[in-house]
Amino acid sequence: MAVWLSDDHRMIQATVREFAARELLPIAADLDHTARFPAEVITKAAALGLLGLTIPEAYGGSGLDHVAYVVAHEELARACAGFQTIVTVHTSLVCEPILRWGTDEQKRRYLPDLVSGRRLGCYCLTEPAAGSDAMSLTTTATFRGGAWFLSGTKIFVTSGVEADLCVVYARSDAATGARGISAFLVEKSFPGIKVGKVEKKLGIKCSSTAELILNQCRVPAENLLAARGAGGRVALAALDGGRIGIAAQALGIARACLEEATVYARQRAQFGQPIANFQAVQWGLADMATRLDAARLLTYRAAVLRSADQPCAREAAMAKLFASETAMWAAHRAVQIFGGYGYLQEYPVERYFRDAKITEIYEGTSEIQRMVISRHLLAAP
Amino acid sequence: MAGVLVIAAAPEGALSRSSLELVGGARVLDAALGGGVAAGLLGGAGAPGAAVETLHRHGVPVVYRVHHPALGVGQSDALLTAALAVCEQAQPALVLVAGDTVGREVAPRLAYRLGAGLLTDCVALGADGGAVVAKRQAYGGRAVATHVVRRRPAVLSVKPRSLDAAEPAPIAGRVVDVAVTIESAALPTRVKQVQAEKAELGLEDAQIVVGGGRGLGGPGGFTLLQDLAVALGAAIGSSRPPADAGWVPISWQIGQTGKTIRPALYVAVGISGATQHVAGMAGSRTIVAINRDPEAPIFGVAHLGIVGDYREVVPALIAKVRELKGR
Amino acid sequence: MDIIVCLKQVVDPELPLREFVIDPATHRQVRAGRPLVLSTYDENALEVALQLKDRSGAKVTALTLAPQATIGDAVRLALAMGADEAVIVDDPRSPDLPGAAKARILAAAIRRIGRYDLILCGCESADWVERVVAPLLAEELGAACVTFVSRVESPDGALVVRRQSEDGFHLIEARLPAVLSITSDETNRPRLPKVKDIVAAKRKPLQAWPAADLAVAAGDTTADGVEVRDVAAPEHTARCEMLRGEPAEQVALLAERLRGLKLL
Repeated sequence: MAVWLSDDHRMIQATVREFAARELLPIAADLDHTARFPAEVITKAAALGLLGLTIPEAYGGSGLDHVAYVVAHEELARACAGFQTIVTVHTSLVCEPILRWGTDEQKRRYLPDLVSGRRLGCYCLTEPAAGSDAMSLTTTATFRGGAWFLSGTKIFVTSGVEADLCVVYARSDAATGARGISAFLVEKSFPGIKVGKVEKKLGIKCSSTAELILNQCRVPAENLLAARGAGGRVALAALDGGRIGIAAQALGIARACLEEATVYARQRAQFGQPIANFQAVQWGLADMATRLDAARLLTYRAAVLRSADQPCAREAAMAKLFASETAMWAAHRAVQIFGGYGYLQEYPVERYFRDAKITEIYEGTSEIQRMVISRHLLAAP
Repeated sequence: MAGVLVIAAAPEGALSRSSLELVGGARVLDAALGGGVAAGLLGGAGAPGAAVETLHRHGVPVVYRVHHPALGVGQSDALLTAALAVCEQAQPALVLVAGDTVGREVAPRLAYRLGAGLLTDCVALGADGGAVVAKRQAYGGRAVATHVVRRRPAVLSVKPRSLDAAEPAPIAGRVVDVAVTIESAALPTRVKQVQAEKAELGLEDAQIVVGGGRGLGGPGGFTLLQDLAVALGAAIGSSRPPADAGWVPISWQIGQTGKTIRPALYVAVGISGATQHVAGMAGSRTIVAINRDPEAPIFGVAHLGIVGDYREVVPALIAKVRELKGR
Repeated sequence: MDIIVCLKQVVDPELPLREFVIDPATHRQVRAGRPLVLSTYDENALEVALQLKDRSGAKVTALTLAPQATIGDAVRLALAMGADEAVIVDDPRSPDLPGAAKARILAAAIRRIGRYDLILCGCESADWVERVVAPLLAEELGAACVTFVSRVESPDGALVVRRQSEDGFHLIEARLPAVLSITSDETNRPRLPKVKDIVAAKRKPLQAWPAADLAVAAGDTTADGVEVRDVAAPEHTARCEMLRGEPAEQVALLAERLRGLKLL
């Protein structure tokens, strides 16, 4: 992989790997068992510049490209997938849309705080009846007396509990589908927004997943993000970057599976020899490594396009689709290689198995990714 | 004199164990190279009489004695001045210095000022033809370098606990008092305070030692190791990472920059065995390593190895030890 | 305050044993093709310097003696961590030079840099482990010297440092300029660079001076007349008996072996 990475990328990779080894690896199992939000590690990550990797230095960010983002996020996810979820949503689904669509005033007001970790961001799109069919959302936004009033229920909000700044998508106009949706920057302190149910999940447990209930939540007019009715475009553009982040997450999980399974296979002896001598195990590891490298290259490709501000919806979808399915497959294989021990909480692979599953679902299910890819393939010339 | 001069720092009057190790080394070299053995006894407090006697009793005929209040514990600059004064008088061919806290500051500077050759942290001394042949550890203990020192004079610092202490060999001796002028206030460095940490179960003298490393994951892992140490009647130490991270006191550290141990049994738990830890314990007679990673370098120096998770292996071992000891 | 930190690049000491090969011609470790990192304790020395910079605004210069072609990420890492500028003394012989010769060249470079109150080194290098550079640098420069310093207690006014000893520590007051060799401590764990500083480090001043251009003092060093005859893996490489099976079985086997050795 070294040939694909610049000196900067390599040094950043080494630094984030060391950060993850010091701050995340020792506590990852505990974070999963207790479902504790790693606030102190978020603070340290922010101090290193990990909460605004792709945001320009003018706003306090690190000003790096998306390959650096992928490299850094793979390292974070390798150590703790849940922690990486928090950071990728914050960066790709909150900071980047503000950077791309925000007014100077909005950028000035929110980006420095987000990048420094003073504020944590969350993304509110999904509703009980609007998942894959996100553009059918029904949360309303009514303009009245110089302000917007938002009402509705958002679910599956990552960092819903801890976040201060929410990007909320609501229907502001009668038009159905994407065209009637607007995006809003909603601070938790605005009247009329509260955290509802906090979900218990299969994996990525240290990342909170909550319901946010808006009841005539008053949002100042200047907090409309992008043009009225442009919300659909904002949401989908955000997901392109977000999918690259999830692909990076899947890379980290898959690598964790490969590394742990390799160590275990050398150590575990049955029938008088290390199980690493058995072809079934060897082939499992070979396939894990091959698919992981393939997933990485797909992800780097999407990242390169994104860094150049080129359209990358198709490439991001391919990367997310392939990487997530690789992670789930690798985790399944890894648990099998560990055998009985793989089923125990004392060993990390059962956590990877549980963490991997979400990568096939959020920020667009694998089915949606296939839809995106096939639409590109079949689009009229 | 043209023989071997041992620098023996005795800040509180008593002769240290490492001084006797140096005497042993000096006598080996003298047997091969000739020229005689002498010692420079440098002290500030306490009566040096007993130390002089001990030196004579271990085969050192000439003791150059420097007694000055500035020669307290850790006073490297004063010791350097005193050592230079002794060398000026004794004109040795070889100077042996202990590679301890002070020695490692003094030896190179002594060599520089004498215009002498220098070899530091020797772990073995011998001769070949008219040259000194010495061994030292390199690459964090992964290799042993053999050096040939032809130059005279030459200063050799010796790693404490590497050489055997001299056997008694009483000899008629004499003392040469060497005067030295040291203006304490004018010294570039001065010791303001000497702080000794609470002595832990004599790590360096224990016959059985249990060591914990980064693989224990945190200070909590050492609790389990304490139980093992108690069951075995062992002292407990660590490799560098736990000490650096503050999981255990620095005085527990075994390694090139920590303590050197040579117990009959050393049990390394969760220690990778890379770099400088091995240098501090490779002299152990039997080394047992317990580590999750079968590729861990520790298995290259251990005699008995268990690849496994310490959280399973150590409790089982504690139970077994207790069973065998009838508890 | 002006601080110079002497940094050495070494082959990563954590490389697997099979990568550790001695070149019989040079009696040194084969470096080609192996990743180079900052020598372990040099990172601690750099951290101490940077803490002094944070506390009292010192200027930190990173100084490395190495063939310029082999300068990897190490110098850039030092700049990314916070060093203000870097000087590389380019000398193709340097990886295999003895410590005494290096100290002499470094002293010449330090004199050319001109301003220095403190010179920090690692207490020993991770490869050749001579522990001589700091004391010999002090002699070359006529500076005070304290080795195995774990902490700088008070950089203002008089310099007071904590030197590690066999059974604790000594507090030493030293005159400036001083050469300190630094050992690791829980207070000097090397910081991680901020990600944007990794990129920004490329813009910090970095000078390369050919060693031949320095006014290196003539005459023998303490390394003259001392030759390396051989470097080999230690004779006592034991063949490790691996005890296999479940933990209960492994432990039973171990107990049996230890009993046989009269250790239990």
